[in-house]
Amino acid sequence: MAVSDPIGRQLDGEDAPPLRFVLNGIERAETVPARMSLWELLHDEFGLCGTKLSCSRGVCGSCSVLIDGVPQASCSTFAFSVDGRRVDTIEGLAAAGHPLCEAFAARSAFQCGYCTSGMIVLAKALLDRDPHPARQTVVEWLSSNVCRCTGYAMIVEAVLAAAEAVTDG
Amino acid sequence: MASAFDESVRRRDAGAKTSGAATYGTDLAVAGMLHAKVLRSPHAHAAIVAIDASAAAAVPGVRAVLTAAELPSGILPHYGYIVKDQPIVAIETVRFAGDIVAAVAAEDEAAAAEALERIRVVYRPLPAVTTIDAALADGAPELFPQAPPGVVPRYGAGARGALRPRSNVSYEFAYRTGDPAAFERCDHVFEDEFRFSRMQHFHLEPYVGIASATREQIEVWTSTQNPFPLRRELARMFRLPETRVRVNVPLVGGSFGAKSNCKTEPVAIVLSLMTGRPVRWCMTFEESFFTNSQHAALLRLRTGVMGDGRLVARRSEIFLDAGAYSGASPLVAEKCGYRIPGPYRYDFIDTVCSCVMTNTTPAGAFRGFGGAQATWASESQIDMIARRLGITPYAMRAQNLLRLGDPFVPGETAIDSDLHAGLDLVIRELGAVERAPGRGVGFAIGLKDGGGINKAAQARVKISTAGEVTIDCATVEAGQGARSSLCQIAAEVLNAPVDRVTISPIDTDHSPYDHGTNASSATVVMGRAVLAAAERVRDDVLRFTATALGCHPGELRLEDWHAVRGRERHSIAELVLREFGAIGFQFTADGFQKAPLDARAPLDSPCVFWEIGWAAVVVGVDRGTGKVTIEQLVVSGDAGKAINPLVCRGQDEGAAMMGVAQALFEQMVFSDGRLMNGDPLVYRVPLAEDVPASFVSILQEQGRGPGPFGAKGFAEGGILPIAAAVANAVEDAVGVRITELPISPQRVHRALSLQQPKTVGVTA
Repeated sequence: MAVSDPIGRQLDGEDAPPLRFVLNGIERAETVPARMSLWELLHDEFGLCGTKLSCSRGVCGSCSVLIDGVPQASCSTFAFSVDGRRVDTIEGLAAAGHPLCEAFAARSAFQCGYCTSGMIVLAKALLDRDPHPARQTVVEWLSSNVCRCTGYAMIVEAVLAAAEAVTDG
Repeated sequence: MASAFDESVRRRDAGAKTSGAATYGTDLAVAGMLHAKVLRSPHAHAAIVAIDASAAAAVPGVRAVLTAAELPSGILPHYGYIVKDQPIVAIETVRFAGDIVAAVAAEDEAAAAEALERIRVVYRPLPAVTTIDAALADGAPELFPQAPPGVVPRYGAGARGALRPRSNVSYEFAYRTGDPAAFERCDHVFEDEFRFSRMQHFHLEPYVGIASATREQIEVWTSTQNPFPLRRELARMFRLPETRVRVNVPLVGGSFGAKSNCKTEPVAIVLSLMTGRPVRWCMTFEESFFTNSQHAALLRLRTGVMGDGRLVARRSEIFLDAGAYSGASPLVAEKCGYRIPGPYRYDFIDTVCSCVMTNTTPAGAFRGFGGAQATWASESQIDMIARRLGITPYAMRAQNLLRLGDPFVPGETAIDSDLHAGLDLVIRELGAVERAPGRGVGFAIGLKDGGGINKAAQARVKISTAGEVTIDCATVEAGQGARSSLCQIAAEVLNAPVDRVTISPIDTDHSPYDHGTNASSATVVMGRAVLAAAERVRDDVLRFTATALGCHPGELRLEDWHAVRGRERHSIAELVLREFGAIGFQFTADGFQKAPLDARAPLDSPCVFWEIGWAAVVVGVDRGTGKVTIEQLVVSGDAGKAINPLVCRGQDEGAAMMGVAQALFEQMVFSDGRLMNGDPLVYRVPLAEDVPASFVSILQEQGRGPGPFGAKGFAEGGILPIAAAVANAVEDAVGVRITELPISPQRVHRALSLQQPKTVGVTA
């Protein structure tokens, strides 16, 4: 059965138009099956293993990536839907030396590390919108993702420290 | 050079885990691997009348369909720590909604999932027992009409174990010490009953494993805490020498006790045997809820006291909901029963703890390991007794606390933390609490024997020509930071920068032997093995250097891979090249640690250390809704010596937040054996916004731990006291006593509505 995307383009088979998007600042073109998730595309096709799959229901936030700067659950996003958009992952943030990566590392704001990529990506979106967030703003913003290990306080502190670093830098 | 234990020293995995470079079991692939999915029972208890898997086998891409009929002949298909009652796939009977009935291996997960839908199973539903009370009722249906095989471990003075002492109880632990006549001397005897809820570990990395197996050898790559015990269990089941089973363990994405013994491995191994291909099984998040959980519990305490509040005697009867299969439950029962005295002196203790089999998700190891259940009941009852006697909860504790150096019970390790000092510390940190209607203060102390029983650990430390240090050991990194702490211990001994120390991947063919990463044991037990190996290799290096320099080793000390002798500083790398030629050399030494056996110790060997969690809370209770808000939470643990202060803080706070969740809202909800909230969307775990407005953790370093440099284990204490501290604060606030978790608005509201108007009492 032929599968098409919401605007009617064929998505299966050899006729499927390539997906074009900007991944961590680099333009990419890829032909993807209709039912492939963005997480599968990143992890399996591009080998970007930093984005972690956990609940597969868009609840826990471990697989968060930025799509045009907005944090989204890559497990619950169709790969084809990022056509023409900008996708940023933890690898892109780390390569750019984002102060959040340094703040999380220096302040031990992680334990098992499985939620960490998602937390950093989530926090990046906050700092982009609000470079000087109040503590309560950080708490509320981070409450869309789950960390089972840390008890959160050290993550909140790392985000606040990164905000300072962004300002100072 | 700064101390290896400075707060500025980063975890060795900090870079990888904050850049996306860290890989886990979920990221692994083996060439040619197939993917597994399993079919699970919709019934809590049923006989399997027939299975027709022919249509499933015909689905394109499917390579094998496993049901009980296809289990290889000659294997032992059941597993479990003490009672071996859990089959690889259900054999004739399913015992909980979620039990594995069949498994499929296919070229991809989608084909495997499609095949599952084509397996036809005819069940004959059986009456189910889905609660502790139902399982223990007269004439209750039995989960195991025939007693499964098991072996009672060896115990010391006063302790005993029994397999299947009664219907639907797979194991019973009992311990008794002191004079039974003590109860007769008591001025008062109080009997109270408590119920403990059941949480799921909710580790974010799902259960995942890959197996490559033939009838001659097995290799697995799996997310487990205990590689060598798993090797032994798989070797037993598949009738292979232990040395023909190889267990590889990558980084583990959270466990909290969950990833112990067999999980994905047996199904993946059998499917690999059937197909001749490697098989990966990555469970969905929902399947975690069918795989393991904490133990719900019913605890009855009978405690005798003198009129002045002196504790005299305690008898406990504890029933743990073990779920459908025994797993680690007998071991948890042992610890739950044993820990019921808490941190107090008694003249007589008599405790029995049973594993009750129910048609629900199997329960197993969970942070606290029976200690959370015991502390909930014990620390609640201590407050209740104090209030009944008209003395303050603080005074009640103060006069009964074990002192430093007191044995917990005869033959056991002496208390190695100042319990009273810790209590004063957390209470003082609360500051002046402004009294207001609906506001109350509570505190509690949790205590557990730490470091495991009779635990053995080996480690190897190697130093290359250029002075890079490698540790080989099987301590699993599940987030707790243990592998990083082990690097810090070696760095301190070798006086080397921590970033020059790495720890090699775990593989049971090459890693030194170890009993497993559990019981908060790594820093102390493996830490001592690493310490011994590092000291030995240091001494080897100093002897070599002294010979090369023509002096006595005692004249030399190491510093950043140089030998320092007075004002001279010699490059060891150069001395190595001079002696061994351009190829260089590697220094290697081994270390070993094990507690001595001692028949006087009730659990076969005295515990390694005591892990303590202190908590003090201020709560606000809304009389209109029953909602309890934790306004202030202070927790503390004693690390002995903090190898990594930030890691210690993270352990204490993470454990405390699990305790907060258990106290207020988190639980698995079953209805007639069906799990009602086994889904990440509806199962509520704490979020950042659930952290109390004022949350302080205080790291104590009392310096008396048996580990390297005075360290103690630190991963579990924080969860122990929270729920009881909250219940105690709720009574202080509004005069109602909640004896069942969670302390939900509904429960508090109901208690308030039943309250006699006069009983709003406030005790400081």
